Amino acid sequence: MKKQLLVASVLAALALQAQAGAMDDGNLSISGFGTLGVAKTNTDQVEFARYNQAEGVQDKARIGLDSNLGLQATYTFNDWLSGTAQVLTRKNTSPTFTTDLTWAFLKAKVNDETSVRVGRIALPGFLISDYQNVGYANTMIRPPVELYAQEPIESSDGVDVNYQHSFGDLNFTAQGFVGVSRGKLFIPTAGGSVATYRAPVSGLAVSGEYGPFVLRFAHLQAKMDTNDLTPINQLVATLSAVGFPDLGNQIAVRDKKIGFNSVGLTMDWKNIVLQTEYAQRRAKDPVYIPDTNAWYTMAGYRIGKVLPYYAHAAYEGHGRSVTFPSRFPTSGALYSTVNSVLTSGEQKSDLIGVRWDFAKSLALKVQVDRVKPTVKTGELNFPKSANVPDVTVVAAAVDFVF
Amino acid sequence: MKKLMTALAFTSVAIAGAALPAAAETVVIVNKANPATRMFSEQAAQFFLGKSNMFTPVDQPESSPIRAEFYHKVADKDPAQVKAIWSKLVFTGKATPPKEYPNNAEVKKAVAADPKAIGYIDKSAVDDTVKVILTLP
Repeated sequence: MKKQLLVASVLAALALQAQAGAMDDGNLSISGFGTLGVAKTNTDQVEFARYNQAEGVQDKARIGLDSNLGLQATYTFNDWLSGTAQVLTRKNTSPTFTTDLTWAFLKAKVNDETSVRVGRIALPGFLISDYQNVGYANTMIRPPVELYAQEPIESSDGVDVNYQHSFGDLNFTAQGFVGVSRGKLFIPTAGGSVATYRAPVSGLAVSGEYGPFVLRFAHLQAKMDTNDLTPINQLVATLSAVGFPDLGNQIAVRDKKIGFNSVGLTMDWKNIVLQTEYAQRRAKDPVYIPDTNAWYTMAGYRIGKVLPYYAHAAYEGHGRSVTFPSRFPTSGALYSTVNSVLTSGEQKSDLIGVRWDFAKSLALKVQVDRVKPTVKTGELNFPKSANVPDVTVVAAAVDFVF
Repeated sequence: MKKLMTALAFTSVAIAGAALPAAAETVVIVNKANPATRMFSEQAAQFFLGKSNMFTPVDQPESSPIRAEFYHKVADKDPAQVKAIWSKLVFTGKATPPKEYPNNAEVKKAVAADPKAIGYIDKSAVDDTVKVILTLP
């Protein structure tokens, strides 16, 4: 049934494509992107999922991991004002395909180099954050979960300013933003639950492009607040009941500031394609969410329309922001529960894949990931036993744009 | 020997002549009011790849040979790579792709009508309604 729905929506999208040409000549332009993918792993002992995704894949082939469909409409009012809205259908925090309004903003061009956008805007925390769902614009089938899971909030309602200037051969861009992000977080503990959050966010991304190189830095700060993070709320209540309310307050995600820093580099020189990124997550207020460092490197070599690639990705814990009270036990069930919550998972993965631009606006990708959780379950979900196996994920996808 | 040389020379002229229409020169054009007089191909590429908003690019049809040749010459990119670059810009709401016109004459008309426009056409289609700022080999 789900498959039929997706096929129907792809067909609808293609029908829309036929009409889009006719609609383009006015002030309205309709465009879209999507991926039809299928994936499976080699085990039923644990699930592999994208970050913030409720339902992952095991050893049975599923289309939900990578398939999505985005539709975007831009209306140009005049030479300085336009409006853009985008909806995205995918399997995210709910086990079925759902559709969200991912973009909705008015854009005012201040001059040739500066524009201001007001509305819902994707958060540019990491290198490919704002186009990570557009398979066609990316080399890999999906953003490396080790790094992209560190900051699962995707959009905010607010304002951003974009500036672009060329200094000789160096093309400089800067994006500053401030807003409030609201959304859902999928918590893969116990049977899995969904928490709603609200987070005032602000940040800055700057990039410099010189010939085939792009170097980009970004900082994002979010003040996370959620009151229905069930597993953590239960732990906080327990700690309060046994005489450690302060420790509970440190752990709870109530108005807690968290910072994200990243540096990314891409190169597309002759036939060589490189993409690499390093990111840090740092708590600015005490909170259970561990500090982490994450990185990945991808290298590819283009042979005509075929681009084989390899990537390595990893993340690891970088300490905690919560301090135990002096009278807190140093062993026992309570200690080990809290200690485990405060400990970051760690994971490494290697992947190989190939992208083939086989037809106009269409790309076929095949990718094999070997995922190795090293601490806790890494980014894998729902292990059947304490012994979490390494997982091989095989996926094929067709990306399209129109 | 001399005869052979003459024959060879004649043959090479014939080959060059035969090859000419396929390798027709493409020129980059701007509005006559545009103060620019010449431009490097890297600079022209900036406008067509969404890296600068100073000029407004005007494009040829997506499947036309002149378009594939143009992007190959100014940016060493094939049509699929150009499409991927624009997908990034379009679906991040940063830019809208260049407007397409069906042929040389329509591109020329669009450039002549907009002081900020930049386009590319076959050299043979140039007239005094537009200004040539770059000839691609």
